[in-house]
Amino acid sequence: MKNKLSWFAVPYVVWMALMVVIPILIMVVYSFTTAEFQGTLENFSEMGSYAGVFLRSFRLAIVATLICLLIGYPVSYWMAHEGPGFQRVAMALIMLPMWMNFLLRTYSWMSILENNGLLNQFFRAVGLLDLLGVEYIPMIGTSGAVVLGMVYNYLPFMILPIYSVILKLDHSLLEAARDLGADSQRVFRKVILPLSLPGVLSGVTMVFVPSVSTFAISRLLGGGTQMMLGDLIEQQFLGGAYDPHLGAAISMVMMVIVVVCMVVMNHFGEGEEQAVML
Amino acid sequence: MKRQNRVGSRLVIGLMFLFLYAPILLLIIFSFNAGDSSAVWKGFSLQWYGKLFQNRLIMESVYTTLLVSLLATAIATVAGTFAAIGLYSLGRKRREALLTVNNIPMMNADIVTGVSLCLFFVAFFQGWGTFARWFNSVQSAVELPDRLVLGFTTLLLAHIAFDIPYVILNVAPKLRQMDRNLMDAAQDLGCTWMQAFWKVMLPEIKPGIVSGALIAFTMSIDDFIISYFTAGSASSTLAMAIYGMTKKRVTPEVNAVSTILFLSVLLLLVLSNIKEVRAEARERLGAARKPSALDRARMKLAEPRFKWLRRGTAAVLACAFIASVSFLSYATSSRPVVNVCSWGEYIDEDLITQFEEATGIRVNYQTAESNEALYSLLKSGGADYDVVVPSDYMIGRLIAEDMLEPLDYSQIPNFSLIDDRFKNLSYDPDNRYTVPYTWGTLGIIYNTAMVDGEITSWSALYDDKYAGNVLLINNSRDAIGEALLYLGYSVNTTDEAQIREAYELVADANRRGVFQGRVMDEVFQKMEGGNAAIATYYAGDYLSMVDNQAEGVDLAFVIPEEGSNWFVDAMCMLKDAPHQEEAHKWINFIASTEANLANMDYIWYASPNREALEKYPAYYEELYGEELDPEVYEIMAAPPETLERCEAYLNLPAATLNLYNALWTQLGTS
Repeated sequence: MKNKLSWFAVPYVVWMALMVVIPILIMVVYSFTTAEFQGTLENFSEMGSYAGVFLRSFRLAIVATLICLLIGYPVSYWMAHEGPGFQRVAMALIMLPMWMNFLLRTYSWMSILENNGLLNQFFRAVGLLDLLGVEYIPMIGTSGAVVLGMVYNYLPFMILPIYSVILKLDHSLLEAARDLGADSQRVFRKVILPLSLPGVLSGVTMVFVPSVSTFAISRLLGGGTQMMLGDLIEQQFLGGAYDPHLGAAISMVMMVIVVVCMVVMNHFGEGEEQAVML
Repeated sequence: MKRQNRVGSRLVIGLMFLFLYAPILLLIIFSFNAGDSSAVWKGFSLQWYGKLFQNRLIMESVYTTLLVSLLATAIATVAGTFAAIGLYSLGRKRREALLTVNNIPMMNADIVTGVSLCLFFVAFFQGWGTFARWFNSVQSAVELPDRLVLGFTTLLLAHIAFDIPYVILNVAPKLRQMDRNLMDAAQDLGCTWMQAFWKVMLPEIKPGIVSGALIAFTMSIDDFIISYFTAGSASSTLAMAIYGMTKKRVTPEVNAVSTILFLSVLLLLVLSNIKEVRAEARERLGAARKPSALDRARMKLAEPRFKWLRRGTAAVLACAFIASVSFLSYATSSRPVVNVCSWGEYIDEDLITQFEEATGIRVNYQTAESNEALYSLLKSGGADYDVVVPSDYMIGRLIAEDMLEPLDYSQIPNFSLIDDRFKNLSYDPDNRYTVPYTWGTLGIIYNTAMVDGEITSWSALYDDKYAGNVLLINNSRDAIGEALLYLGYSVNTTDEAQIREAYELVADANRRGVFQGRVMDEVFQKMEGGNAAIATYYAGDYLSMVDNQAEGVDLAFVIPEEGSNWFVDAMCMLKDAPHQEEAHKWINFIASTEANLANMDYIWYASPNREALEKYPAYYEELYGEELDPEVYEIMAAPPETLERCEAYLNLPAATLNLYNALWTQLGTS
């Protein structure tokens, strides 16, 4: 029976070779060639002039990830301690925005953050703007707006894994710790936190990776001035500066950096399937 | 468990939900706005819901989104389940290795997946094209299509590719938990292998399959980036449509479609939750409750003798689904089509309907952001256009790179109506490839309410006085061209030092924070809403902004004293365009006087059609019952003395183009 079932894996292995491995290999080929497909390292040596974009992308993504963690951890912790009815509704409410497209969610912030947008109108109405002596508070087109967009879009990705890990915690361990004389702070520090680390790591991954590579959020909320790695890549393929070879090289460098980060991070956690969402 | 902090923790959770839902609520509220702003409330109205259903772009993209998500989920769920079963019957070592590969699309950034798939598809299409041409040349029995492009199929394949890993990830734990001897036991007890699979294994792993399918569907619906790189030009998902619209003027139709989506998802969630809660309650109560009529019917249906009835219904439903999908795709594909790519806000859309009614040809109308973006689209193989409307210098480049097909002017009688001024221009000296669409000038648009005095020079763009209030035009040619003009150089200079000096001027202003953003069609809502003071854009677009300007905004247009750019946008047909006959019909239709008048009135760009240009003031008077302001007409169709101060862009040599590209990419990094 075993052998019979293992044939099921064959089509998928072929599929993965075609749709996962070969595309990445093609990308690698592109990154090491010129427009005439002659071997070159120029695409990588040019990379130095984009250091600013790399730095900004990683800085904004790290900030967004930290904020998500700061909000997400306590929220998931408290949620896991509510009654089952509360939890069910809360989970549904967290998932719900994900079924609207992420672009709709980002778009909704545009009209809020504009110089003449809802938030500035509100500030004007309550007299805050007169108090400060300005006509508006600039929000759109700043790096703050981009971080806000990331936090807003990816917060559920932080909450879901942490919540599911905390929910599955073995309560007898907590009781044992308490019986052995640990106060609640100590129980949290020594038992709950280490045990929920896999959830935290997978949450961090799931927020950080899309944040560092986004181009729609930086384009819509950053107004094109907060260029990120995603914008840089997009520009080389479908945007104003056509150079897929450079685009492939940037994608590859980004992929390598992200993978290294993940490997290093997962080294601290347990290496077992962490990306389970529900 | 601690209970004293309940109030505090609930407050925090509540605040988080407020943060999550406030923007969505605002989106919903403004879908009922009588005005077309998403920031100023003008009263209650349902008009946007009515308009939504007439908006073909949005409706088609909603259909594409749902179809691709459902199909991808269904296929990925089946494939992923079998793949997971297969993987779990392999040895540990091989399984781990394959699971690592399986995790790649999930770990990778979406953009990397999208880009690599895009490159793969394009490479495959090129290989296929070579093969098909060879195959067609050696035999004549079967004609293989030799031109494949990105479209619905590639979009679907990409979605399946990123959905499968999620299914496997959810099915795998259930397989691990399952007792491996169960299958053997069932077979020992006389089940055939198939029976054992259906009756033993499937029920065991069903929860994993369901949650896998759910997540796959969520990911498909939520995706934008991978679709963006793999859908090509012919099909667009809702996210892509909205991304395109956010660059232009977003109308509250987007709010309306969001509201409908949100409410239907909410409804589904509530229903499924109620069902679950009921099921749980029933379990708790056990058999104490008397089964309702519905429950009795359900139980009866579950009896074995109704097995075939159940399977039959499922089969009929599946067939109906497949039939409707294939019918719809047939219905849309059998009609003659012409694929047109133009700019945003660049046609009176009634013309499309008129053309479709007159000829029966379906117009697939797409827009690109800028000449450079159009070029990228064409080069990356993502586009399947017949007719494009690039500007002069880009036409020169496309001709130089042999990307255009010569036109058959005998099929375009209306070409004779084009004014001689716009024929045989430098980009197409023998006029073999082009029929002019519009012409106009580039200038500074400013909000007099936010600027003291008049602006007369390009220097205003780089002035600290307007820090944070200037919008830089988001294409290299115009942005650097303006700086070149300001410095007194030609816009067509190939002198690297001059170009670098111009770039430094822009980059320096960028570093000082003069620019609020880099925009193309986003300029409409920014300037109309008074969200920026100064922008540079095209004369015709200035006039439509004036038409839509909000209260307290007073826009003005000026061609700076240093001179500016004047341009011609012309229709051309791409090399080997698949619908050449339809393309000629479309070009001829658009070149007619009536179409040019309608376009002039709608987009405010000057027409190259001699009759239309002359007749427009009279046409305007007849339509609106008032005289056309001569100043408006002058901005629209710049008089010769203004044009004398303006210079047209020429195609630049490759080295200069590369310099432009490199500098332009760098600008974002400074």
